[in-house]
Amino acid sequence: MSTTTLMPDDRRSLTLRLSFVQYLLAFAFAALAVAFWIFQVAQHERFREMAENNHLRRLPLPAPRGVLLDRNGRILVENQNVYNIALVREQTRNLDETLRTLAMATGVDVAQLRDTVNRRRRDPSYRPIVLIENASFEQVVAMWARRWELPGVIYQEVPSRKYPTGLAAHLFGYVGEITEGQLSRADFEGVESGTIVGQAGVEQAYNRLLMGKEGNRIVEVNSLGRELTKLDEQPPVEGRRLQLTIDYDIQKAVEDAFDAAEFNGAAVVLDPRNGEVLGFTSRPAYDPNAFASGIDRATWAALNTDELKPLQNRALQGRYSPGSTFKMAVALGALEEGIIKPDFHANCSGGATFYGHYFACWKKGGHGSLDLRHAIEQSCDVYFYTVGNMLGVDRINKWATLLGLGVKSNIDLPNELTGLVPSSEWKRETKHEKWYAGETISVAIGQGQVSVTPVSMAVYIATLANGGTRVTPHLLKAVDDGTGWKEAPAPPPQSKIDVTPEKLQAIRDGLWMVVNGGGTGGRARVDRHDVSGKTGTSQVISNLGRLAAARSGKDLRDHGWFVFFAPRDNPQIAGVVLLEHGIHGPNAASVAHHILETFFAKQDGKPLPPPPTHEDLRLDYKDPYARGSVVTGGGQQ
Amino acid sequence: MFERRLFFHVDWLLVGAVLLLCAIGVAMIYSTTYVTVPNGPGHPGAYFRTQTYALALGLVALLICLVVDYRVLAEHSLLVYGSLIVMLLFVLLKGQTQMGGQRWIPVGPYHLQPSEFGRIAVALILAMYFGENRRGARNTGDLIIAGVFTIVPLALIAKQPDLGTAVTLIPVYLGVAYLAGLRLRLLAVFAIIAALMAPIAWHYALKDYQKQRIQTFLDPEQDPRGAGYQTIQARITVGSGGLTGKGFRQGTQGQYKFLPVAHNDFIFSVLAEEEGFLGVLTALGLYLFVILRSLEAARLAKDRLGAYLVGGIIGGFAFQVIYNVTMSAGLAPVKGITLPLMSYGGSSLIATLAGFGLILNVRMRRFTN
Repeated sequence: MSTTTLMPDDRRSLTLRLSFVQYLLAFAFAALAVAFWIFQVAQHERFREMAENNHLRRLPLPAPRGVLLDRNGRILVENQNVYNIALVREQTRNLDETLRTLAMATGVDVAQLRDTVNRRRRDPSYRPIVLIENASFEQVVAMWARRWELPGVIYQEVPSRKYPTGLAAHLFGYVGEITEGQLSRADFEGVESGTIVGQAGVEQAYNRLLMGKEGNRIVEVNSLGRELTKLDEQPPVEGRRLQLTIDYDIQKAVEDAFDAAEFNGAAVVLDPRNGEVLGFTSRPAYDPNAFASGIDRATWAALNTDELKPLQNRALQGRYSPGSTFKMAVALGALEEGIIKPDFHANCSGGATFYGHYFACWKKGGHGSLDLRHAIEQSCDVYFYTVGNMLGVDRINKWATLLGLGVKSNIDLPNELTGLVPSSEWKRETKHEKWYAGETISVAIGQGQVSVTPVSMAVYIATLANGGTRVTPHLLKAVDDGTGWKEAPAPPPQSKIDVTPEKLQAIRDGLWMVVNGGGTGGRARVDRHDVSGKTGTSQVISNLGRLAAARSGKDLRDHGWFVFFAPRDNPQIAGVVLLEHGIHGPNAASVAHHILETFFAKQDGKPLPPPPTHEDLRLDYKDPYARGSVVTGGGQQ
Repeated sequence: MFERRLFFHVDWLLVGAVLLLCAIGVAMIYSTTYVTVPNGPGHPGAYFRTQTYALALGLVALLICLVVDYRVLAEHSLLVYGSLIVMLLFVLLKGQTQMGGQRWIPVGPYHLQPSEFGRIAVALILAMYFGENRRGARNTGDLIIAGVFTIVPLALIAKQPDLGTAVTLIPVYLGVAYLAGLRLRLLAVFAIIAALMAPIAWHYALKDYQKQRIQTFLDPEQDPRGAGYQTIQARITVGSGGLTGKGFRQGTQGQYKFLPVAHNDFIFSVLAEEEGFLGVLTALGLYLFVILRSLEAARLAKDRLGAYLVGGIIGGFAFQVIYNVTMSAGLAPVKGITLPLMSYGGSSLIATLAGFGLILNVRMRRFTN
């Protein structure tokens, strides 16, 4: 404890000093009170008048959002100037009459105008409320012609988002006015109501970078609110330009192939070496331009009620059974856990019995005796029933997870969902039941409880392609804040597994044979290039259920998968194509073929292949199971 | 540690005045952000909610600073000071950028501004230094050492750059040194040095926007729409309030953003606009009461340490109040100096209340050994 108590001498000097400073402070406060008295009482009239005639107005100048470029510098998303018709309520004398006159002049529904004003009624009355976004030239002229009847109505030229490519709607996302919920969130601190912010996709994920800084124009206005003189202007600061990892040509190839295939679904194409996303689509898509200057209610309602859910980003949020594409995870697990060697043989006679149930192979006559390479090439179900049964569900879960299935890819886009790779623990926790060994059999061929998102499948095949590194898919390549491009660091991989190269090679041999041997992926073959891949067919409904539901009118056709990478030995591209109700995997391989052909043509410096026609793809439409005999187990190719 | 009889020595009048000022502040924040930051129909703004939470946290901080004997706290002043320096360095290296400066450490959805705690840490260490050396502040060497203790955080905060908060450390230093017997002749020397340094600082240390603020203050009419805009608008805001004011939430100047950051730097202008000259007198009276009453605590203090501690804390507080109120009337250049207890800002409120916890502490323990 301190012993420095105050001696009487000290205390006297302290008291003296304190008294002095107390008088000084009292004097200072008295002086302040006098100053306020002068302003507030003596000169009140003068300042009251100034406040009432405060003709200085701050008009916000919206900042253009940052431009998005592809990896080669091609513009993907840009801005255009549009005209808004807005209302400054402060200058309006009769709001109702003004709105009616404006509605008549411009041909807009007066109820809609009233709604907009009501929604923003808490805004300061000098701040313009945008009534008609993206007004046509005729509307502006009509408004201006009647300006004397429309006090407080003004037009502004503002930047608006433009998506010129017509590609990758879900990837870019869309923009919209900041919502009331967002206004109160910390990450939107300092953003004013009425500001346009990203609401989906890259626009949302990188909103802070893209948004820029609102400017101000201080103007002197007359009593009608018309600008008389511009006194000061703080120009808005454009948002940062972002370079995406997307390759416009690959992206276009993806979209062209889907257009030709006329199926819904999703595709994700990566660079397996670093996780850069080269192409990305989700179908059906929407037109992001419709959102750019305020989406009208009818379009919004239509998008939300459409049964095909065009707003859903299937690549991140659609969950589907992987079917046979899952077999590589089982194969790698069995090899690495030492359960089998690549020359392990199993005999397929068209089906086999496990735990008292008969499980059929997709090939009725059976494949005979085959080793791992050929089992992958032929996608033999019986082989993987056998291996999966030996491996057990928990080790299947372990290896599928290491390869990126059933977990988030952590791509830099919002609202990613996870799939599911079952395990005995999962079943115990969610269903409070023990796992039955018989359930493992259908898991081994990617059916049963297994579900995956397309983006996690892209990570899965990329991990097999690059030798075990679970890369993080990402879209941001570089950022330009006005001072030049700065490379954005690639996110670190999610995990890395030490695989034995010879063991992985056996699987990769099989994947090459799928495309280039006698396998199911022959449609993805590209001349003089080594493509590897695997098809998968995912049952929408069991064959028993299919008979029962046949008359419901729902689309019950199976989903088709194709996962791929190329070239075989030093992969530079990897990806996934999912065709929703696309009958089977080989149809997806047809779509992937155009993507791969474009990639190699670009790499070889050859002219890019023209967009395929529907006929070019030679798709199968015959649903082999539509009225077929009932078979239990898989219908896998 | 906390004897029951101490409870009877708590200065409840001071507590009441401080809480009343906080309540006025929260009400004014509600009023200024009501229109410009809508948050659903009829809802008060998010600022209002944040400030209420900070007030609750501040009362906890006040209680802690009250319960622990200030002599124990002072013994650990080096630790407190060290943590402050570490946090300021962290902010400089890793802090979040906002409004053109790096001042924040994110804590969940909120931000911590370490610079606001600088005044307490500096007051503690200086009071300890002068209180324990048995010589007071008569020795120039001691003054220089204490000056170094002040300059280090001051420089770190100024580098953020947040010159407004940085300069508030100077009155803390002067407050402690003055009570510790700083020779008044030396104070005069300081003033002369400062006057001589001004032109040099003008050329080398001040940034363009800072120079502009001072220039426009000296002659606001010359540039009524640039930086002079704020000074003029502040005067219009205050003057248009009149004797009784326009009424709660009825202000037009602050609410419609003629005054920028009305809930922060210019909260007193809004008070003047909405509650008039009578409101101003009430608030000024409360502030003066709080300051004079706190200085009584210094007079009553048991030991030098306690008296100097109060001097440091109140030095910073009084400076902030007087400067901000002067600025609110458009009578001083616009600087980022907030009005303690009333301006929006969680870290500032918590740190200020913690400071009053220490002042109450000194007074409460005047009879203990």
